Amino acid sequence: MQAAKPAKIKFTADHWKAYGLLIPSLIIFILFMFWPFMYTIYLSFFDWNMVKPTKEFVGLQNYKEVLTDPTTYKVFGNTLLYIGLLLIINLIIPYILAFVLDIVLKRFNHLYKGAIFLPSVISLVVGSILFTWLLNPVSGPAAIILGWFGIDMPIWSKLDGWVIVVLSLITSWKVFGYNFIVLYASVNGISREVIEAARLDGVPLWKIFFHLVLPMSSATGIYVFIITIVQGLQYVFTPIKVITQGGPNYASSNAIYHAYHEAFVLYRTGHSAALSILTMAIFILLLILEFKFVERGIHYEN
Amino acid sequence: MKTNRSVSIPWHMIFIGIIIILTFPIIFAVGISFKPLEDAYNNALNFIPTQPTLENYETFFNSLNVVKIVSNTFIIATTVTLFKVFTSFLAAYAFVFFDFKGKNMLYFLLISTIFIPFSVTMIPNYLMISDLGLADSVWGVILPQLADAVGILLLRQSMKTIPISLIEVARLDNLGHPRIMKNIVLPLVKPAVTSTGIWFFILSWNEYVWPVLILKTVDHYTLPLALQMYISSEGGTNFTVAMAVAVITMIIPLTLYLLFQKYIIGTFASSGIK
Amino acid sequence: MKGYLKLFSLLALMLMLAACGKSGSTTSNNSAASDEKTVIEYWHVNAETQGGKTVEELVKAFNEQSKTTKVVAKYNPDMYKGLMQNLQAEAASGKSPAVVQVGWSFLDYFSNNFSYISPQEVIDQHFPDDRTFLKDHFLDNVLELAQNSEGIQVGIPYSLSTPVLYINKDLLKEAGLDENGPKTWQEVKEFSKKIKEKTGKHGFYMQEPADNWATQALLESNGARMLSGKKAAFASKEGIEAYQLLADMIVKDKTALHLPWDQGVQSFIDGNVAMAYTTIARRSQIQDNAKFNAAAIKSPAWEGKNVRLPAGGAMLAITAQEEKQQKAAWEFMKYLYSVESMAKWTEGTGYVPPRKDVAEDENGLKDFLAENEMMKAAIEQMDGVVSWTSFPGDAGLEAEQKLLDIRDEILGGKTSVEEGLKTTEKEINKLLK
Repeated sequence: MQAAKPAKIKFTADHWKAYGLLIPSLIIFILFMFWPFMYTIYLSFFDWNMVKPTKEFVGLQNYKEVLTDPTTYKVFGNTLLYIGLLLIINLIIPYILAFVLDIVLKRFNHLYKGAIFLPSVISLVVGSILFTWLLNPVSGPAAIILGWFGIDMPIWSKLDGWVIVVLSLITSWKVFGYNFIVLYASVNGISREVIEAARLDGVPLWKIFFHLVLPMSSATGIYVFIITIVQGLQYVFTPIKVITQGGPNYASSNAIYHAYHEAFVLYRTGHSAALSILTMAIFILLLILEFKFVERGIHYEN
Repeated sequence: MKTNRSVSIPWHMIFIGIIIILTFPIIFAVGISFKPLEDAYNNALNFIPTQPTLENYETFFNSLNVVKIVSNTFIIATTVTLFKVFTSFLAAYAFVFFDFKGKNMLYFLLISTIFIPFSVTMIPNYLMISDLGLADSVWGVILPQLADAVGILLLRQSMKTIPISLIEVARLDNLGHPRIMKNIVLPLVKPAVTSTGIWFFILSWNEYVWPVLILKTVDHYTLPLALQMYISSEGGTNFTVAMAVAVITMIIPLTLYLLFQKYIIGTFASSGIK
Repeated sequence: MKGYLKLFSLLALMLMLAACGKSGSTTSNNSAASDEKTVIEYWHVNAETQGGKTVEELVKAFNEQSKTTKVVAKYNPDMYKGLMQNLQAEAASGKSPAVVQVGWSFLDYFSNNFSYISPQEVIDQHFPDDRTFLKDHFLDNVLELAQNSEGIQVGIPYSLSTPVLYINKDLLKEAGLDENGPKTWQEVKEFSKKIKEKTGKHGFYMQEPADNWATQALLESNGARMLSGKKAAFASKEGIEAYQLLADMIVKDKTALHLPWDQGVQSFIDGNVAMAYTTIARRSQIQDNAKFNAAAIKSPAWEGKNVRLPAGGAMLAITAQEEKQQKAAWEFMKYLYSVESMAKWTEGTGYVPPRKDVAEDENGLKDFLAENEMMKAAIEQMDGVVSWTSFPGDAGLEAEQKLLDIRDEILGGKTSVEEGLKTTEKEINKLLK
């Protein structure tokens, strides 16, 4: 934890150098992020459809409408469900598997790592088309194989719940490998002696995982945690757009897709802007909580 | 340390199962890209091309300048990756090793942009790009992609693990910041730089929403855009040609990965990402 | 560090290539500009599977014969919605292409929000010889498709599609049914049941994209109307009856499929579904890939009633702002509407030609139609074509969306047809007021 408040001791004088280092990023962000974002905040107070010459000022009306629309809550609920599923599939499972591969199995690890990483390089547009085909509940290979066992494949793209699970799985197909590699590397970086000693003492594996491995690799854990949520939600966008367009009746929509839907399908720019601002507010809150509580407990191994 | 077989065999089974699930779609895609569309439709399970045909690849190569498209994609993805890693590195360094006014606020401001959906920035960005006269150009595609705070987040996370004493000693030796960055910080955060770089490259390589908006002439197309040409909701998707395009799209990132695999895994493993 | 060196030298090389590529392309642009042709942009949505090749051929042929105009075609993915999205961005930056394809469902939205010029106006101003071109070559009911709710001729119909019923003759035969397929919707339901009983395959699939095109055909053919005046009116007795038939097939009989579009057509092509109700634009996909005896027949009617089939596809509109560009736009459009180009267009896309004289003309489609039986169904039912309803006003697209949302609820068996349609109608009318 000694790195948490680093430079106060030494560099307080060179403010300007710090700003200098930030300048390239700041220019880019001001042009392509903050300006558009301010514009979005501005738009969230207007009724507009992006092309009309006149924007009508409506005050907080857009926010009111978004907050009273039951669809908003459905979509936020879905968003949480997506996050939950993505975290289980792309953080918890690969964490455990990385531990098993590194500590328990050890053999074939090159082969396994290579094969698991493969799908990460493929675009989700390809993935979505491919899975539409593979998981066609009537004609796809999966349906045919299930048919041999007398099982009818559910029409997943039209069923609440199912649709989120399947879209999460499709997204995970891409995300899983990268996360696994990163987690594996981190687990692999933990000093062997401690773990071997614990194993010789007959400490059960699950205890080694929870009491040794988890704390010692928690910095990477947080990295994967954040990237799973952030990129995961953006990634799910593609299969939603290609396969369900948010349907059936918004059952597969998430906050990001819904903002897109409002803006580019219904052309309700104000609504979309208000929704984006609210989404961001929620995430920033989570981010602050994360920094306040989680990051303090992280063990940075030096 | 030997692990007894009753434990390891079920785990190997699990791994093999997962690998089958993850790689089957790819094998399927590759296989089907060598089959005529008609066969793909009528024989869903049989994805092994018994009489392989190149007709799908021919269709793609005959209608578009594939070499140009691949190099466009590569140039864009590489430039984006380099710039993003570089600017993120500088910014992260400033956030970790300096103390300055508005630091926390600035950091939060930057990081919170991660949660701005791209649909929000799309139209204003388009205006900006065309005001700069960059529509239908490589730079028009590249610039907005650079505004991504994930790199800053990740590299800061990683740099925070560097013991401050190291930097202090270096400063006492009158080492300038550029040298500290290059000789001390970079080697220590190499795994993070590598992993973020790979991540950025794959992200940019597959980006399609933004290029679709910016690029007009076929000569400037990127691979994901070429793929879109075989997908149509009204006329239907030409599945086998789409898969041929997909296979070509996979080849470069995959080759890069295989080429650098040892090295990538090596940097990860040497110290983990912290 | 060796790895990094390798990587960086590779990257440096790429950057150099990028620089070269860039300078190369600028010079070629310069040379193109120097021959003083008016350069106009043509925006289309035709993917390679839907006439993309033909667009290229037509544009190339036009550019070769024109001394004054050079057309640059831009493909817009994601159909008319995608094009509208890109057009929006372009308009916001103060520019615009010269000729664009506007999907029918965006007719009102387009005419309310974008600045365009009616083709007839351009003709009147600059091309006195073509004054009667539109009247001479288009059927009135076809020209009307491109008029907005105020009766202004926004553009000219270009890509016309209608829904047809594709049938798997082999499966119908196996089920002991008339190979020529059902004539009415009631028969469709009976056929579907029989097929399920006799063959175990699914009987019927109706396309489910993100629009209400096929739904409109089903409902309006039964005498219902999507709109009456400026109010939604689909929840009439006839409307509910028509929707009920579809819902029953899916929810009660379980003989029809409730699937996304691509999956539904895939299942028809591989023989898992015996009948598919979808657009003629899917003809080549089905014709080229089905291994059974496939046919397309006219849209089923309701007993004793005339069919009303919404036109799918798009019109061409002129969005060029300067006079010179507008002139060039019409020169190009006139070329596209020639008998030869229209014939090529139909052959490449499967769309029905909007001009009346193309089908019979020797230079037109005569041979093509003789070879492609499936097209006949679509051309024969042209007299039943009506315009695709776009709900009026600013909330039109939202209204359309409401109808889509309820489709999922009804076909998913979560709500009854009557209740679903009635509530939705009320909600839509509240929006449209």
